[in-house]
Amino acid sequence: MKHAGYAEAAAAAALLAGAFEALDVGAVVLDQARRVLLWNSWMSRHSGYAAADALGGDFFALFHEQAGRRLEAAVRQALRDNFPAVLSHSLHKAPLPLFADRAARDGGCRMRQAIAVTPFEVGIAGSGGAAASVGRRCLIQVNDVSAAALREKLLRTHALALREQSISDGLTGIANRRHFDAAIDKELRRARRSGRPLSMLMIDIDHFKAYNDQYGHQRGDDILIRVAATLAARLRRPLELLARYGGEEFAVVLAETAPPQALQLAQALRQLVAQLAIPHGAAGAGAHVTVSIGVATWRPLLLQTAGEQGDAAALIGAADRALYAAKRAGRDRVACDGQAVSPP
Amino acid sequence: MSICVTRTGEAAAVPVLSALQHDALAEIFNIGVGQAASALSDIVGDEVTMSVPSIRLLDRAGAGALLANNQARVCGVRQQYDGGFRAEAIVMFDEDKSLDIVRLMVGDAVPFEELTEMEQEAMGEIGNIVLNSCVGTLADLFEQELRGSLPVVQIASGAAILGASTIGIGDGADGDANPIVLMLQIDLALAAHCIHGYIAFLLDMGALGDLRALVDIYLARLA
Repeated sequence: MKHAGYAEAAAAAALLAGAFEALDVGAVVLDQARRVLLWNSWMSRHSGYAAADALGGDFFALFHEQAGRRLEAAVRQALRDNFPAVLSHSLHKAPLPLFADRAARDGGCRMRQAIAVTPFEVGIAGSGGAAASVGRRCLIQVNDVSAAALREKLLRTHALALREQSISDGLTGIANRRHFDAAIDKELRRARRSGRPLSMLMIDIDHFKAYNDQYGHQRGDDILIRVAATLAARLRRPLELLARYGGEEFAVVLAETAPPQALQLAQALRQLVAQLAIPHGAAGAGAHVTVSIGVATWRPLLLQTAGEQGDAAALIGAADRALYAAKRAGRDRVACDGQAVSPP
Repeated sequence: MSICVTRTGEAAAVPVLSALQHDALAEIFNIGVGQAASALSDIVGDEVTMSVPSIRLLDRAGAGALLANNQARVCGVRQQYDGGFRAEAIVMFDEDKSLDIVRLMVGDAVPFEELTEMEQEAMGEIGNIVLNSCVGTLADLFEQELRGSLPVVQIASGAAILGASTIGIGDGADGDANPIVLMLQIDLALAAHCIHGYIAFLLDMGALGDLRALVDIYLARLA
């Protein structure tokens, strides 16, 4: 009877050992002294340590880089307090030097891991088989989450690309109208909080319709691209944001910029475009492609009469008025809202 | 020292914490979240601070009502503990607050509106650290040995998360006792952001009795 019981127990132990070996996760059991009691073939395969190398040794001597880190704290807590712990991939990436295969190992590309540390109690037969004591052990399970991590990385890349597309202008690559609308609202809120001035420029390419009529839309598009690139090169992000406002109109949001600096910058932008010296042979135009610019600055006074949306509309309206003043005064010049137009 | 008991309408009695008991528990849990904050700081390489500004005893409905907005989805991380006493602990943040926490800790800028699988896993770890620290402090103080389960992350309304507890069902003299919720408000500060959340300890009547006795012993020891 006793012999049969022993055989059954041995068979059960062999069954458990076989199942433990076959697990498709890394499985390691540590004793109170953090010595490795069990080490399955998944661990051998991905760590490069055979069971013979790992068994009986200190787990944190094997994986010394985790000594003093979160995994050691988790194991300590499991063995001392009987509390399980998890180590997420997002917060730890790849805590253990485990590799999918030889190529990954050679390339130093670690497997992405999610780890669970679970304490458990085992009954240990005392000497003579009569008295039984209880010992605490700790199971470390390592999951390969590389596929999930990759999937999420792809998702993020696509989301970033989509967001980029949704806020940039397809032709010129600068910010689009939607981005401009969001930016001006954000900067107005910021200006209201900080009390710092906020300026904007409205820029229009002179006689653009005539250029299109004369040279065709493709050449017209080239002008838009060159002018946008020229303006963008002179501006410093993120405080100075250039956007395509509509057809041949560009807008610039100038955070923390007072009227004199805004005017100075507008003059510089106007000159840069003129210096491109792009021929413009249409009747009524000057010899080259030029821009007219309207400058407006947000003042706290506006706040008292208009709401949040009203504020943005008032600022854009003021820049628009200045732009038309510049156009009426002969084009290729800069006008400030509420001031006489300066000569080019 | 005893916990005074009030009746709220037809509902079961919800004990109220005296000022002394409140302060004692606040001290205990502030130690717990302090340890959790230090562990989180090590992980993110930036200073994380946590505190427990208030503690209340509520019934489940009262705890549900306390969650800022019952319509808002809440990310809850749940662990069960048993041994010296039986309790279930849930740390809860509004889903958008959870997004803030994960993104501040992980540093990802892509603004998805919902927690991704990996972000939920990260919330699971953050919750695990916070709950183990709090319950560990409580267990140390009460000199009780407890066993904990692995964390489970759930995203649902606050009421649904509290309602999913198995504590209280079939317990107590009434057969289906309403569990008492020891509700901790927690403030988590990271990188100039302060994020509010809650930890709910669902206790059956037996555990609550133990807790009363243990808090009184703790207070007597201090006196």
